Amino acid sequence: MGKKYRLAITKGEEIRYVSHLDYMRAVERAVRRSKLPAAYSEGFNPHMKLAFASALSVGVASEAEYLDIELTAEVDPAAVGGALARELPPGIAVRGVRTMGAGRAALMAVVNLATYRIAVPLPAAALDAAEAAIAAFNAAPAAPYVKESPKGRREIDVKNFVHSIAAARRPGGLELTLAVRITPAGSVKPAEVLAMLVKYFGLSADPDAALVTRTGLFVADGSGRVAPLDL
Amino acid sequence: MTKLPPAVLSRVAKPARYTGQEWGSVTKDHDKVDATFALAFPDVYEVGMSHLGLKILYHVVNRRPDAAAERVYAPWPDMEAELRREGIPLHTLESFRPVAAFDIVGFTLQYELSYTNILNMLDLAGIPLKSADRGEEAPLVIAGGPCAFNAEPLADFIDFFVLGESEEALDDVAAAVAAWKKAGKPGGRRGLLARAAGIGGVYVPAFYEARYNADGTLAGVTATDPAAPPAITKRIVADLEQAPYPTRPVVPFLEVVHDRIMLELFRGCTRGCRFCQAGVLYRPVRERRPETLLRLAQELVDNTGYNEISLTSLSSADYSCLKDVVGRLIDQFQGQGVSVSLPSLRIDSFSIELAQEVQKVRKSGLTFAPEAGTQRLRDVINKGVTEQDLEEAVGAAFRAGWSGVKLYFMIGLPTETDDDIRGIAALAHRVRDIYREVTGKRGARVAVSVSSFVPKPHTPFQWYGQNSMDELERKQQLLRTLFRDRSVTFSWHDARVSFLEAVFARGDRRLGEVLLAAWRRGAKFDGWSEYFKFDVWQEAFRETGVDPLFYAARERGAAEILPWDHLSAGVDKSFLRREYEQALAAAPTPDCRRGDCRACGVCQGLGVDIIDWGTP
Ligand code: SF4
Repeated sequence: MGKKYRLAITKGEEIRYVSHLDYMRAVERAVRRSKLPAAYSEGFNPHMKLAFASALSVGVASEAEYLDIELTAEVDPAAVGGALARELPPGIAVRGVRTMGAGRAALMAVVNLATYRIAVPLPAAALDAAEAAIAAFNAAPAAPYVKESPKGRREIDVKNFVHSIAAARRPGGLELTLAVRITPAGSVKPAEVLAMLVKYFGLSADPDAALVTRTGLFVADGSGRVAPLDL
Repeated sequence: MTKLPPAVLSRVAKPARYTGQEWGSVTKDHDKVDATFALAFPDVYEVGMSHLGLKILYHVVNRRPDAAAERVYAPWPDMEAELRREGIPLHTLESFRPVAAFDIVGFTLQYELSYTNILNMLDLAGIPLKSADRGEEAPLVIAGGPCAFNAEPLADFIDFFVLGESEEALDDVAAAVAAWKKAGKPGGRRGLLARAAGIGGVYVPAFYEARYNADGTLAGVTATDPAAPPAITKRIVADLEQAPYPTRPVVPFLEVVHDRIMLELFRGCTRGCRFCQAGVLYRPVRERRPETLLRLAQELVDNTGYNEISLTSLSSADYSCLKDVVGRLIDQFQGQGVSVSLPSLRIDSFSIELAQEVQKVRKSGLTFAPEAGTQRLRDVINKGVTEQDLEEAVGAAFRAGWSGVKLYFMIGLPTETDDDIRGIAALAHRVRDIYREVTGKRGARVAVSVSSFVPKPHTPFQWYGQNSMDELERKQQLLRTLFRDRSVTFSWHDARVSFLEAVFARGDRRLGEVLLAAWRRGAKFDGWSEYFKFDVWQEAFRETGVDPLFYAARERGAAEILPWDHLSAGVDKSFLRREYEQALAAAPTPDCRRGDCRACGVCQGLGVDIIDWGTP
């Protein structure tokens, strides 16, 4: 039985447009370059024992990605972080490492809340109206939205996932911050929240021009939020 | 410095094609170097990033302290539309500098149907398309790669070509640019071109004039400038052991076509298939030592983190110490989670044994290329493979657990008759039957892929008139009627694409206007079926009054001056002619690698030798 480690890493501006699959592969290659004693699965097609917390869309950066990795030998956590940091491409930094005891639940299974910051470019003249749109969303009892995906159309109530959005004025536009619940029944993407605001709450902004950054992933219960590294 | 707006990147497919920042990419301070190169590949990122030659050149330039190389690929049409709308010039991935701000823009020429992409990229870069229209400030636009061996269709657009293996030549070019700039750019642009013309392997088309006979054939391409040699001979690396190898290649985020370590075992192939251009251009065979390969492999694994090593060469199975090297690579790397793969297979059971060793996992498909359906025609093309070889090889493959094989053939070869076409179907059915004999079961999967033969310059078939599109389509149709069995799938190539390839492969300078006309009418990414617009090309030929059949379909006379006669791969034209005659007599010519010299002229002419570590 190998040793498990949990790492907090980032997906910076440089690689904002890299897909989740490509991001994972980049980390895996960095692990291989680092010569850390990564554990592989058995079988003909061995793969590295590496698990990520939650997928990020193309175009979304992150200050808080988490991954669990299994090594075949015990390594000092600081040395794990150091070895990996040297081999990570620009845009991926290590923010923390800790060992994980046996029997911990998979990251994917426990994380249930993601926080985001969205920079929405807007002319100064449009700021009042934009703030009003956000306020209208916050006051609305429900916010139905039709999710479209290759698998089909599905109507959701965004309010089931996002309780409220905070808006702050910044040079060049508005900065939105929000927390999105990740439930067994699904979640909503920040880009969909934006599209919903544009379509149903009169936010007049170009969602393509907005910059979304994940600021945190948490395990939340009634009493508070815990980051995966503190579990 | 251009930074792409988020809205643009959000709107295009696969935006990571355009954002760089890959592991291993090199960004230098342009103020601290004397020569800057934008290395351009006229196809999309995933294709360009898979090209070993470009990785080598990137390394060759960037290892010089006085030079910087950056990369640029053809933007996909969605991105092209965004660039044009936003007025963003074509720029490199490393520094996002406009391509027009570089000293040299160097294109890799791999495929004739990427020529319109070159014009499109120059246009997007704001660089005048024609060399003659470029001012003092414009970069020098240069090109290399196999298609440079018939440079003439691009002569109007390219300032100079580099023939042959460019790792040393590009070094010379970088040194020449740096020296010229340091000296205060004496003679201006023309002065630099004259310096370049003095570098071995460099062809400056503006220093030559093409004259034609009344019947449209070429009367000659002759030097008009004292700096220009009468003929240009390819550059060659005599000993690959001394050649620089990119052991820190750029590792893309995006999954590219060849997304693995490429370990080049050797260069050259002297099996002498008469249709094959690479076999002539890269003569003679020069192998790397096994120890060198193992060392390079370890460096590549350490530096890239890739989990697969692909052994690449024109015919990797011909490497003299292959079994030894494969065994040692597997021993060395299996504990590191790295596998070994062998892309090109020879048709024999030795190859199957090896394939079994390296591809324990993937029983998906093995590829064989008999190329022709009958022994007679295989003798014509000098494909030294018998039906028995194929039977033994696929038998061994099926016994080893493979159930699918791919068979590659060509139609339209010289002397071909319908019996040869029927032979393709017969061979495919024979392979299906062998599966039943070996396994006692049905259910073989035989995929037959048939391309149409495109005669290439610098080959024994360079004189041959290509089959007409009608004839190729008739043969395809004949094959369709012969493949009735569901265990055999048949695919073929668009005859119109092969026709256009044939026009440009053996074209002359008069095709420059056709290219321009087709590009103006929207031709680009012609190698991609979704963008191939044959009607646009037909209009371009009509508009310019150029007859494409003159280039594709015409059998050339033995004495005719060919548009590439002044560009030499070191192989004598008389050897190629002899080989053509041998072909018509269905007489084979054995490999010179371990047999007698066939007097092609390359070793004596270029002062190089075959390097084969298996020779006792
Ligand atoms: S000169 Fe002779 S030995 Fe050298 S490549 Fe040609 S045929 Fe082979």
